[in-house]
Amino acid sequence: MRRVFRIPFSRGHIAREVDDELAFHIEMRTQRLIAAGWSVDAARAEAFRQFGDVTNVRDDCVIMDQQRERAMSRANLFGELQQDVVYAFRTLRRNAGFTAVIVAALALGIGANTAIFTLIDAVIVRSLGVSHPEQLVAIGDPSRVSSMSQGSPRTDLISVPLFNDIRRSSRSFSGVLASGRTGRLDARVGDAAAELEHPRGRFVSANYFTLLGVGASRGRVFDGREDDNVGGSPVATISYGYWTRRFHNDPSVVGRTITIQDTKVTVIGVAREDFTGEIVGGRTDIWLPMTMHDALFPNQRILDDRMTSWLLLLGRLNPGVTADQARAELIPLISRSIVVNAPAATANAFTAGTKTWYIGSGAKGFSRVRATFEAPLFTLMIGVALLLCIICANVANLLLARGIARGREMAVRLALGAARNRLVRQLLTESVVLAGLGAGVGLLVAWWGSHALLVLAGDGSAIPVALTLDMRVLFFTLLVSCLAVMLFGLVPALRASRVELASTMRSSAQSLAGSALGHRGQRAPLGKLLIAGQVALSVVLLVGAAMLVRSLRNVQSVELGLDRDHLLIVDLDINAHGYTGPRLASLVHTLRDRVAEIPGVSLVTYSVNGIFSGTESNANIQVAGFVARAPEDSSIAYDQIGPDYARGIGGRIVQGRDFAAADESRYPAGIAILNESAARFYFPNGNAVGQFVHFNDTTAMQIVGVMADTRDHQLAGDPDRRIYFPYVNTDTALTTAGSLRLEVLTRGEPAALVQQVRKAVVAVDPSLPIDGVDPLTTLMKQSISQERLVARLATSFGALALLLAGIGLYGVMTYAITRRTGEIGLRAALGANRADVIGMVLFDALRLVGAGIVVGLILALPSTRLLRAQLHGVGAVDPASIGVAIVVLGISAVVAVLIPALRASRVSPIVALRAE
Amino acid sequence: MLDRDGGLLRGTLDVLILKALSWGPRHGYAVAEWINMVTDGDLLVEEGPLYTALHRLERNGWLASEWGYSDNNRRAKYYQLSREGKQELRAEVSSWERYARAVGKALSAASPAQA
Repeated sequence: MRRVFRIPFSRGHIAREVDDELAFHIEMRTQRLIAAGWSVDAARAEAFRQFGDVTNVRDDCVIMDQQRERAMSRANLFGELQQDVVYAFRTLRRNAGFTAVIVAALALGIGANTAIFTLIDAVIVRSLGVSHPEQLVAIGDPSRVSSMSQGSPRTDLISVPLFNDIRRSSRSFSGVLASGRTGRLDARVGDAAAELEHPRGRFVSANYFTLLGVGASRGRVFDGREDDNVGGSPVATISYGYWTRRFHNDPSVVGRTITIQDTKVTVIGVAREDFTGEIVGGRTDIWLPMTMHDALFPNQRILDDRMTSWLLLLGRLNPGVTADQARAELIPLISRSIVVNAPAATANAFTAGTKTWYIGSGAKGFSRVRATFEAPLFTLMIGVALLLCIICANVANLLLARGIARGREMAVRLALGAARNRLVRQLLTESVVLAGLGAGVGLLVAWWGSHALLVLAGDGSAIPVALTLDMRVLFFTLLVSCLAVMLFGLVPALRASRVELASTMRSSAQSLAGSALGHRGQRAPLGKLLIAGQVALSVVLLVGAAMLVRSLRNVQSVELGLDRDHLLIVDLDINAHGYTGPRLASLVHTLRDRVAEIPGVSLVTYSVNGIFSGTESNANIQVAGFVARAPEDSSIAYDQIGPDYARGIGGRIVQGRDFAAADESRYPAGIAILNESAARFYFPNGNAVGQFVHFNDTTAMQIVGVMADTRDHQLAGDPDRRIYFPYVNTDTALTTAGSLRLEVLTRGEPAALVQQVRKAVVAVDPSLPIDGVDPLTTLMKQSISQERLVARLATSFGALALLLAGIGLYGVMTYAITRRTGEIGLRAALGANRADVIGMVLFDALRLVGAGIVVGLILALPSTRLLRAQLHGVGAVDPASIGVAIVVLGISAVVAVLIPALRASRVSPIVALRAE
Repeated sequence: MLDRDGGLLRGTLDVLILKALSWGPRHGYAVAEWINMVTDGDLLVEEGPLYTALHRLERNGWLASEWGYSDNNRRAKYYQLSREGKQELRAEVSSWERYARAVGKALSAASPAQA
């Protein structure tokens, strides 16, 4: 009767039950009909007839039962999950201190990793938010953002005529765009009385937006015709960020005029909200058509000048063309363009073909920040990864101890009839809740941390990088922490729960503790292994941090060759008012004399590039009798300086003489000073004074003196070869000075004179923009901000690792001593004194730490090698750093262990024996 | 009360099942017999849809079921009203009575009311 409807068995229990139910009905009906006098066959047929469509009914019933079953199991699962979560929270709240420590540790680990990876993603990994960034090719050094070079054609920066040659002749690209610095913009929004503002701008070619595929969120962007009429398109597109910050998203900004350097410029639109430009780590407020440059800056006519290189180029590849093919096409093209148009000697350098060419993927745009922070970020990444490992070990240790303690709870609950898989699920829930809380707080840490890092890296003002928290990393670190938490929270508890109930309940947690923490040294105790591992990783971090700090101190204390404690550098913007020629000369002299009158000032001199100012000029020189083996050999840094420059900066003339006031009125100027590096390089026989050099292929200059090398632009590395000319001269072959720095030598603390110097400058020309009045020490600090940042962060990671190792050590030793209370009491009873007990505990702990240190040193040797590029004056193996790390770790270990050791030494024999 | 196919309107069958179970647990056959009895065999044209309805009501949570043994000692599935089922029955009964009263009043009206 069972198989009435011949249902395949595989349909499962639901189908079987429905079949049984319907079969029962048919059977009952048939019996009833037989009882009423029907024949068996007829009764059966009638029963089916009365029932109707059996197959359909059956299928409907099965479907509905399945639905019911699914809903029920869902509800069950959900209910239990809810229970578990509630229970987990209750348990965690009951152990608030424990929970807080674990959550804080996890949050730090997760947060630090996410923060660093977020920065790496934003600065190094992410492509520009434009259409098909992978098609873009960068032409020009991506790190030379906002640079300008005058004097020779270059390939790391491009001049406007060269850009036009490339744009016209290249077949690889569907289009090539250019963008370049604007210098400082003096803008007035509103009438002439409005306050002067300095938005950050870029000059761009008219095809900039169309080629990038970036539209407008208001008004329109440049449509490509702005370049048609040179100087005739006084229009601007502003960034969404600037629109929000400066105009509070006022839609009427489109069509408004802004006065920029006395020219009225109409805002035609606001760029798309998510577009921040092709410069990563740089903020752009306003884009101006490149061809407006000379109209806005009539003192700097560079649109037709092949000797002024200031553009960075992005080309969009034609379909099917690779970046390498574009490179192969561009190199001869650019060479030809330069050779045809440049002076002979410069051209030779290019035909030699050894110039470095910056042609490669432009998907990530240009970024000086990336070039500066790439290596440090990777260093920090290794640091935070180590930190995460240490934190996981620490959390694992804490959980391990607690898991053992909970073995008894688990045993009791099993005894009361709880299902083991239910217990496991509940422990897992607890782990996930713990890790989730850690991740939640970690997210805040990451958000705060990555922004704080940008501020730190920018030395006070945050580097403008759009940050989106890297969710992949967050999930990865969350996963790692979850695993650590689960593994070390679950395993001991489970192992404990498997122990025979009766014995567990009788002997408390002792036997369990033995199995996990090593009872009388029978086998490798997991807790101690974790501590040793933590110590080992801390050693790696500490050695690395110590090396970075020592390197930083080397850099900071390097001999500069100038008077670092008595110099004040004044940075003035002479371009704003077009000071040139005799006007510039008289301005410079007046400024010098006025500032020199200030009490406390002993000497004032001046130069173009100044000291630690961030600007630098380069040129080619030719020396009779000197054969350049590489084009770089002809390259030399140069500066234009005032009289008594060497004395004014605290430097020294080693041969010949300094410039004198009379040199400024010589015509033609024709004299130069070399620094020692240059003198040695070009005149190995030591007879530089009196010889001639040719500057940029033309002007012949006689060397009148040799100045001792100074480190005046960077602290690390060898000093550059440098040549100096008089600042004030009438020789047109030299570029007219583009900027002015006063070097003020003071008798006392230079910072004390800042206000007086400012006043003196204002008294000479109230409208002359002062870009800065800073003691040299401040500028030096800024020049190594990146090194300082990395050293500072590495040190704090190291300190954190130390703290965590200390906590772990303290926890494990406290636990071990609690377990050995009886033994210690017995020893005390047998006559051991306090010192013996302390010694015993210390020895135990230090053996552990010692093993960790040895392993750590083995790990540290290859890892610190990765730091090599960032170290100055510190070898790959640095005994001093290793010593510092060991001593610091040793002291912290002793401190961490001393507390439990002292406690142990106070154990009274009676109490101890009673506990047993 | 009867749809065009001559079958029971779904809601009516549901409420009859709930009523049949209001005196205690019954198996499907007993429910069918009770409906046949109280309706003189007029309503249940086919017995199959009764089972579809039973399973649907169980899915909705109005019925609970359990396997047991019938009077003649056969394994049978017994249904009984859940708490929600009892509430549902009360609600259906009262709404049915309201409906019947209203229709009855309308059909027994002596004269057209004033518009």
